Amino acid sequence: MTTTLAGGRAARRQTMRRIRPRRSPAVPLLLAVGAGAVAVLWLWWTNTPSIADTTGKIIAAGRITGLLAGYLMALVVLQMARVPALERRVGSDRVARWHAMSGRYTVSLVIAHVFLIMWGYARQAGKSLGDIVGQTITSINTLPDMGKAAIGTGLLFLIAFLSVGPVRRRLPYDGWYHVHLLTYAAVFLTFWHQITTGNEFAVEPTAKTFWYGLYGVVTALVLWYRIITPVRLNLRHRMRVAAVIEETPGIVSVLISGRRLHRMGAEAGQFFRWRFLAPGMRFSSHPYSLSAAPRPDMLRITVKAIGDHSSRLRELEPGTRVWAEGPYGALTAQRRSRGKVLLVAGGVGITPMRALFETLPGAAGDITLLYRANSTQDLALWSELAKIADERGARLMYAVNSPDGERPDISAESLQRKIPDVDRHDVFMCGPPGFAQSVYDALRGAGVPARRIHHESFEM
Amino acid sequence: MRKSHPVRRAVLATAATVSGIVLLLSLKPASDPGSAEAAGGAAPPAAAQSPQGGSQPIGDGTVTGDAASTQYGAVQVRLTVSGGKITKAEAVQAPKGGQSDQVTSNAVPRLNQAAVAAQGAEIDAVSGATYTSAGYKKSLQSALDKARAAGAPESGAGDGGGGGNAGEAQARTVTGDAAQTQYGPVQVRVTVSGGKITKAEAVQAPKGGQSDQVTSNAVPKLNQAAVAAGSAEIDAVSGATYTSAGYKQSLQSALDKAGG
Repeated sequence: MTTTLAGGRAARRQTMRRIRPRRSPAVPLLLAVGAGAVAVLWLWWTNTPSIADTTGKIIAAGRITGLLAGYLMALVVLQMARVPALERRVGSDRVARWHAMSGRYTVSLVIAHVFLIMWGYARQAGKSLGDIVGQTITSINTLPDMGKAAIGTGLLFLIAFLSVGPVRRRLPYDGWYHVHLLTYAAVFLTFWHQITTGNEFAVEPTAKTFWYGLYGVVTALVLWYRIITPVRLNLRHRMRVAAVIEETPGIVSVLISGRRLHRMGAEAGQFFRWRFLAPGMRFSSHPYSLSAAPRPDMLRITVKAIGDHSSRLRELEPGTRVWAEGPYGALTAQRRSRGKVLLVAGGVGITPMRALFETLPGAAGDITLLYRANSTQDLALWSELAKIADERGARLMYAVNSPDGERPDISAESLQRKIPDVDRHDVFMCGPPGFAQSVYDALRGAGVPARRIHHESFEM
Repeated sequence: MRKSHPVRRAVLATAATVSGIVLLLSLKPASDPGSAEAAGGAAPPAAAQSPQGGSQPIGDGTVTGDAASTQYGAVQVRLTVSGGKITKAEAVQAPKGGQSDQVTSNAVPRLNQAAVAAQGAEIDAVSGATYTSAGYKKSLQSALDKARAAGAPESGAGDGGGGGNAGEAQARTVTGDAAQTQYGPVQVRVTVSGGKITKAEAVQAPKGGQSDQVTSNAVPKLNQAAVAAGSAEIDAVSGATYTSAGYKQSLQSALDKAGG
């Protein structure tokens, strides 16, 4: 059964060829974003010869916040365009956190922009702060494209409200996600008033060209990587469910067959967003890691049945069509910097670690896998791991709760005892957030530098 | 995996944004609508005639024109007037830094000389210093306007000032210099015929946002007022203070040109 997936030497050779230790492009990207923001502020600066009075200052502040919001809005959308450089090199988890952070900031700027501009216009018309609502209605009625902008802004506020922590936790993921997609409509609707009523764009044709360029590029990237690329991928590889295997109680593996799957460019440690075209599952797509190195005719994911979606996986019929988007994720062999590697897996976090355990290049004794689970029965894929360890001369350790339910001791001291040179390892880690945090602290305590702890976390 | 502090991050982001915007706003020079008003509005109607001819009395003393911004920096001219004549012209501000130092040190003395020689703003640009020359002329004009405002008590001489050059000319169209306002430039074109303004129109006016509305309301009124007054002495349209001030400034400049 699953042993058919042991790719072994061939996969390692392939991985070896791909390893080009590269710096994450995060810092240059952030610098570029900052430079863009400075350029936007400069645009305001050069087009504002002087500011007269308080009203002028309020309107100027409204313009600055508006310009920055317009600029960041494009970047917020760009972060979710699934651009490979972001997904595979910065890491999907980090980009998702950036997206959430910059999204919150942008919505705050939009609120400030609407309030300041309307307040300023009200003062200009000789009205008080109390007439701000009336002024807003007047502006919507009289200024070009403001009706569209008002609808877009309303949508944006709705989306932002539904994304606030406590509200979001009460919503089913799919519902929240589909409402979130309305952001595209909101951005489209609010774009036009920037061009037609924006002072900076009215006086500065070059600025207008750049603004069209920015939004045009983002639109092209979204269309290319979110629509065209997945369509091409799925037309080319035509994936179907081959079999569903129960690994341990509550953990299932799904084998997926298709054409020339090794040409998808997936690496051990990466994930796809999967959509199974079965009744009731068609409209939701979920990220699951590959639990084995991809083979030309077979992919495997291993999933813990915790959510609604993952529980349904065990009922999948062989032959069900599969729609996949990816590969995404930066937790790959490219992250490593030294010879020795420690892999730490918590529960079903074993899936990407299992693939890395098999494919990470290294001599005998270079690779160690530490597998944490509640009990020995919960050690999914154990026989496979033992076989790989045997074949490669790798170390395999597990930590489970004692029969009376006591948690195993994973601390700086115990790590140093088990692996004396732990501080000279690259560490790859995957597991639930609490576990990951405590292991991270233990590793740091044992002297592992932060830059050599590689971890993906989908917690916001 | 470093611990995140969402509240701290939010407070920091807010503080940084607010202080950044406040800093930007406070660094911007506060425009003085009063002086814009003075430059345009307080100019006497006589200015519609031939200011460059020097026929109008100029108040004695020192007068500083408005700063004119150019691509390379601001230019601001100070005139010393004695006995109705310009005895000295100097630039209190001129573009600095990089190439500009050289250009300025070459051009400004010549422009100063030219201003004294011409006794007006109709001086030639110094080659190689086009922008500085243009800014200089603009600020010089503004200084002259102020000087005249101070020294020309004879209001009402506007239409009646028969000997004006403009009077003899047939209908001609003159475009004033663009006047910068907070909301965008204003530029006025006038058609002068028989010493009278027969038509005034704005070729540039603030656009975008609220400005479209303000402009479409104010500009027609200002055009009418200019024709009716036959000079730059028109009332500001309420709710469009800056546009009105800019309009008057550009109108004045157009009339100056028409006169010269």
